[in-house]
Amino acid sequence: MTTSFRMSGRLIRAALTALALAASGAALADGAVICNSGLTIASGDVKDVYTGEKQMAGSTRIVPVDNSAAQADFLSKVLKMEAGKYQTAWTKKSFRDGLSAPAVKSSDAEVIEFVKKTPGAVGYVSSGTPAGVTVVERF
Amino acid sequence: MSLDPAGRLHRRLISVTIAALFAAAPLARADDAQRIDALEKKLEQTLRQVQQLSNELRELRSQKAAPAAAAVPAAPAAGAAQAEKIEHLQQQVDQLTAGLATRGNEDQGLPIHGFADVGWQANTNQQHLALAGSNNTGTRGFQIASLDFYLNPQLGDRVKTLAELIFEVNRDQGVVGTDLERLQMGYTVNNDLTVWLGRFHTPYGYWNTAFHHGAQIQTSIYRPQFLDFEDSGGILPAHTVGLWANGGTRVGPGKVTYDLYVGNGPKISGATATGANATASLDPNLRGNDTHSMESGANLGYEFRGALDGLKLGGHFLRRANVHDDLANFNRTDLNVLGAYGVYITDDWEVMTEFYNFHNVDKSGTTGSHASWAYYGQIGRPIGKFTPYARWERTRLDQADNYFAYLETGQSYMRSLAGLRYDLTPRVALKIELGHFNATDRQTYSSNEARTQFAIRF
Repeated sequence: MTTSFRMSGRLIRAALTALALAASGAALADGAVICNSGLTIASGDVKDVYTGEKQMAGSTRIVPVDNSAAQADFLSKVLKMEAGKYQTAWTKKSFRDGLSAPAVKSSDAEVIEFVKKTPGAVGYVSSGTPAGVTVVERF
Repeated sequence: MSLDPAGRLHRRLISVTIAALFAAAPLARADDAQRIDALEKKLEQTLRQVQQLSNELRELRSQKAAPAAAAVPAAPAAGAAQAEKIEHLQQQVDQLTAGLATRGNEDQGLPIHGFADVGWQANTNQQHLALAGSNNTGTRGFQIASLDFYLNPQLGDRVKTLAELIFEVNRDQGVVGTDLERLQMGYTVNNDLTVWLGRFHTPYGYWNTAFHHGAQIQTSIYRPQFLDFEDSGGILPAHTVGLWANGGTRVGPGKVTYDLYVGNGPKISGATATGANATASLDPNLRGNDTHSMESGANLGYEFRGALDGLKLGGHFLRRANVHDDLANFNRTDLNVLGAYGVYITDDWEVMTEFYNFHNVDKSGTTGSHASWAYYGQIGRPIGKFTPYARWERTRLDQADNYFAYLETGQSYMRSLAGLRYDLTPRVALKIELGHFNATDRQTYSSNEARTQFAIRF
């Protein structure tokens, strides 16, 4: 009897832990990297796109945009960079290779609108699964 | 089971009626007239009661029905108003979003980027002050160094341009001069290849293309002296006018990078004498090549990823046949440079080293071939906003080689320095540096140096 109570207690704790982890996981994976529906890029390419290493996808020029509403999360979770380092990396890239840093949009809605309309566009949003674009990865 | 008020009234009405009927039965056995009168009175009373109860029942029913009837039409009305308001707000948000997105696509002009730096310096040897080079502007005290602008308009999906214009204080006259540092137009063939035409930073080694005039993005105040610009007394062509192909491709866990270029090679201008009296500098031949020999070179590197992220190793060569000076009986020298470099740049460390080996050949005289070399090593350790750093530079340039003998800064030297950089913001840096310089062959002297620099980027 005592053993079965212990077993039940453990099962309940395990279930609660699993629920808590699932909830925190869901919270961590709220953001999404999105791209224009006509573009195909892999999640492994996202860092290259946002550091100027990958500029073309086939014959399409990739146009990354930043989202000031979600940039801190995106940089820390996806690029694993601080904002200052990100700026400096783009200054060096721009100075050496003549590339321009991604334009900065101010909200999810603005990013979604731009990505929908612009061939080759890649962006990221803080939450949700926007319609009319392709979700590349969640973060 | 419970009844509502209307139900209870209905039961009372039925009970009163039945009771009245039962009450009328015993009276029939009394006096007929009296009984009839009494019955009529009771009946009238009962009928009044029935009428009263019926009225009450009707009233209650109407009261119960009224709120429901009122509520039913009111709900859709309020919902419709709310839906209309939401739709209106949605329209406003859509219009705002569309407007912002459209504005983003409009031509908003061309952003100008750039660098600027000012500072102060001192050293202990007058001889050292006379030495050329941006490491030594020939004066003590405060100075403005350079204001550098660059533009990089993207002209379509594949065509891009890079233009860089610099204003800097001329070392000899102390006046502000202008130089079109770069004007290059590129076509991106694919991720692995971009072809440029124009004037570009010659892609030898690492430093020359990574930092160039960007004082704010380099940790130290100045470049290593032997990598200085041509007009500041450099011994290598820091710029080339020609054709440049560069790119990189994933190989294994990292990336192979490459540069291939051809262009007008440099000549030596202002040659009058050799040794301590040398005054010449490299002329990059902006207007066109002065001989049939082109400068050519390549740079091959490998950028590591994963555990070794930040590490890049590479090698390069540069060749230009018949570099000549402007003496009446000009000297001609084949310039051959072979080099290697390694950099390790992470959030915690900055380690850079480059080695250059010269194997120049005298083509007009009989001095044969000459071996020279130069290298530097620099280490920095970012700690928050501070980066302490140190560098060691050394050259051994053969003074019998006409290429070095006529150049004002063609002498061999050693320099060690230590500095501290403080990043006020990601775009603003303050640097303080102490160094020790030794001239080791053409002249022999030493000098202590102190410098500060305030460098920005925008």
